[in-house]
Amino acid sequence: PAKKNKENKMSNLVEEYFEAHSSSKVLTSDRTLQKLRRRRLSQQTLHDLLKKAPLAYAAEIKELNQLHESLFSKWLLQLHLGFNIVLYGLGSKRDLLEKFRTSLLQDSVHLVVNGYFPSITVRSILNSITEEVLDHIGTFRSPLDQLDFITERFKEDSSLELYVLIHNLDSQMLRGERTQQILAQLSSLPSIYLIASVDHINAPLMWDQAKLSLYNWLWYETTTFSPYVEETSYENSLLVQQSGSLALSSLTHVLRSLTLNARGIFRLLAQYQLENKDNPSYPGLSFQDFYQQCREAFLVNSDLTLRAQLTEFRDHKLIRTKRGADGVEYLLIPVDDSTLTDFLEKEDEDV
Amino acid sequence: QQIQEDLNKQLLDNLVSFLRRSHSEFQGKTTEWTCRMKSREIPTAALVLGVNVTDHDLTFRNLSEALQNNVTPYIALLEAKDCPGIKNLMQKLMGQLMNCSTDVVSLEDEDYVQVSQNRIRCSMKSLVDWYDSVTKKTDSETLSKKRTSSSKHQQSPPVVVIFKDMESFTTKVLQDFIVISSQHIHELPLVLIFGIATSPMIIHSLLPHSVSSLLCIELFQSLSCKEHLSTIIDKLLLTSRFPFKLGEKVLQVLINIFLYHDFSVWNFIKGFQLCIVEHFYSEPLSVLCCQLADAKKRVNSLSHDQCENIRRLPSFRSIILNFGNAFKVTMVTVHVQDQETTQKLLEDLHVYHENYVSVLRCLHVFTCSLPKYPLGKQIRELHCACLENRVWETEDYESSLQLARMLNKSDLETMLQQCVEILVSSSGNKFDKAVEKLKEFLTQFQKLEAEAFQEQDVSVSSQKELQKKTDLYHLQKTLLELKDSRRSKKLTKFEMLRFEVVDYIDSLVRNYLVPADHKTLHEIVYFNTASVLRGHLNAAPRIALHTALNNPYSYLKNQALKSDGRSISNKAPDICIVYKLHLECGRLINLVDWLEAFSTVVTAVEGPNADAASSDQVDDIIHARFIRAVSELELLGFIKPSKQKTDHVARLTWGGC
Repeated sequence: PAKKNKENKMSNLVEEYFEAHSSSKVLTSDRTLQKLRRRRLSQQTLHDLLKKAPLAYAAEIKELNQLHESLFSKWLLQLHLGFNIVLYGLGSKRDLLEKFRTSLLQDSVHLVVNGYFPSITVRSILNSITEEVLDHIGTFRSPLDQLDFITERFKEDSSLELYVLIHNLDSQMLRGERTQQILAQLSSLPSIYLIASVDHINAPLMWDQAKLSLYNWLWYETTTFSPYVEETSYENSLLVQQSGSLALSSLTHVLRSLTLNARGIFRLLAQYQLENKDNPSYPGLSFQDFYQQCREAFLVNSDLTLRAQLTEFRDHKLIRTKRGADGVEYLLIPVDDSTLTDFLEKEDEDV
Repeated sequence: QQIQEDLNKQLLDNLVSFLRRSHSEFQGKTTEWTCRMKSREIPTAALVLGVNVTDHDLTFRNLSEALQNNVTPYIALLEAKDCPGIKNLMQKLMGQLMNCSTDVVSLEDEDYVQVSQNRIRCSMKSLVDWYDSVTKKTDSETLSKKRTSSSKHQQSPPVVVIFKDMESFTTKVLQDFIVISSQHIHELPLVLIFGIATSPMIIHSLLPHSVSSLLCIELFQSLSCKEHLSTIIDKLLLTSRFPFKLGEKVLQVLINIFLYHDFSVWNFIKGFQLCIVEHFYSEPLSVLCCQLADAKKRVNSLSHDQCENIRRLPSFRSIILNFGNAFKVTMVTVHVQDQETTQKLLEDLHVYHENYVSVLRCLHVFTCSLPKYPLGKQIRELHCACLENRVWETEDYESSLQLARMLNKSDLETMLQQCVEILVSSSGNKFDKAVEKLKEFLTQFQKLEAEAFQEQDVSVSSQKELQKKTDLYHLQKTLLELKDSRRSKKLTKFEMLRFEVVDYIDSLVRNYLVPADHKTLHEIVYFNTASVLRGHLNAAPRIALHTALNNPYSYLKNQALKSDGRSISNKAPDICIVYKLHLECGRLINLVDWLEAFSTVVTAVEGPNADAASSDQVDDIIHARFIRAVSELELLGFIKPSKQKTDHVARLTWGGC
């Protein structure tokens, strides 16, 4: 009966998958965050607010952590025996690894890699090994060469030992195939000890058999329930103001530093765009029309000045140009309409 | 720790030597073949190695060693990850070949420097103009080098290039290399060796006809990984040389990982190693897990606490319960006597192991040839069955005995012969009696042979009679007679003897194959915590996340968190609430609705004590907490931002998990 149950469950899972993906039509309400009368929080205010909110179940979490900390000496033994350790489970494992580092690795050479840092690359990891640990000055043509060099050195000098701690081995920057290959080869060196943490549910998909055997993982479940503070601070959430698209504050900042005429030009474009916001096929304002309008408003006196102005806008990513089907240049402001409305309202107030 | 490292090393050494042996035959064939080949095409050996990629490293290392010793000093081992383009391939190849030759010929230092300079120059030039000038140049350089150094050698040895993982090479690189090298085959005797994980078909799908016609391919099959496994189990587990043993569940886990996941012998070894580490780390009494003589010494130097540990062992307790009262008192209190008994028990355990292995092999001889294999085909299955329970109580054992009683004579004889050999070779001296008994059986069989011939004669003659007399009445009569004689034959000497033998084997089994759990002090040498092993080797991060999110009570032991699992408890951590709300949605989730649902759930907790004045503040905090929880879910990979609709996120999982 147990087997049958399992089979049932299995087929249920399959059905659930197709159910979820069957209809392309999605039934959700059309409400958007814009209509919610609440300002978007910036990263800073969010941080402050969260500081105020008390962490629930602090005592229990502490207990859990103590449980994990009791394993530290065992980890060390297993690392020395040629295994590498990977931590998984809910909650940030950063503090745990930090504690491991401060309590046991104080005296030995160790390297901490913050995988969640958005601009980390495998080259920077390798560089820090060659430059700081091996005291080698010089560049390498490719990471593979660098890896060869490191392997050579570690094989020659058996007294060299290095602990590598990687927070979030599965982060966006490190999950690439080549990166993982290099890290795996690095970790297979007998005098390099690797402890890493993974969070993503599909993290094990990164490794094929060859890599797994190079990594020689020992899995440890370390569910900590502690919030991912550092890890998510780089994650551009939908609800936080995004650095990728233009925010209202940065828009006003940039425009404040411009001349009056330049501001007028931008305003003109913004107004025109808002007038056409309900038209889905609106391609933007063509350069010729725009030039005409600006001339009429006495904002520019020649084609050249407008172009110079627009280049400036484009450098600040305030506008985007798009070439239409007829070869005419169209101008668009890549900011969502609500922000633009807010901006115009504010401008009116200022004036 | 020291012991453990020793043990580890011993184990690995044993293993490597074994693997070497198993490869040697295979290698021998290959080397012989590489010597022999001389033809216009490029001779190529395709080694079909099976999907367990991780084990192939050792094979190739041994192969190149063997080749180095016997055939040629020029061996290059290429891996796909080093050769994304033909340039890298040539560079790597040159580098390795030059290193090889300098190693073997041991040139002067100046020469060596020159060689390495050459390599750098080549690579620089090849950057500029990789195909037309430089690869030819590198080729011609290799050629010139060959000529110079081969003049020192008597005959021109072939240059062997091993492609470790054929499947992961880019087709273009491989084709180019083959075409280039085929042009120079006269001056540079190349031999290619492909390591193939899947099937030889891959050669034809990777290489077009024009290229593969340049090759002269011969196939070599390596041993299947299952055979490796059974030999390893044979060598590692079923000997008395290693004091450390695996419990039944642990062994099952390891075998399952092997058979159902990866077929990798290397991973099996790794698991075994982990077992050793765990055992010596967690069991305080594992210091006694060593050879008998050492163990006796160590028992003498045990501290009081360790003796106390021995007394606490469950298997030891049961023995105390079985003994008389007076004895019990002395055991519990007196230190010295304790040591003596421990020594005795350890000895018992040791003897038990020795006997166990040989009897197990005997039983295997009997069961492995039975139809349908009720007790399993491989000795490891038999081993598991014996460890799991009293084997003679199982149905499978019953049926296999039944089958054994129907064996014919010649089979039985060979089996007995094998058993005798096994028992003689085993070191345990207790088997003298058993051996004698079995030998006696054998001689009786030989005596029987004569009688058997007579019986055959009888039957033959009766057959003849049958042929003669075609009369229906007589036929019936003779048939009846035959039947009668058969019925009486049922109790011939042979059959009696057969029953006797089987019964004897049965008694042997009953005596010696008691599962280890029933032995005293088995905790010292058996490692039995399978769950730890499974957790470390075969972890399931998704399940851990799911239980943590679904049922936080299993980690945070707070009474407030206890719930039946279905409903959304408002006291759970934020991320759990957000997760459960997200489970209720379809493929896309509206953030606003989600936020509202979240704040409804959360304010239900704070409702009583929240003032109207600070509600704005509370709202902001809830908003912030929601943001944090959502971005955590995004980090964990449950959702991702979607462009399909404004302010929506897409779910990446489905169903309830």
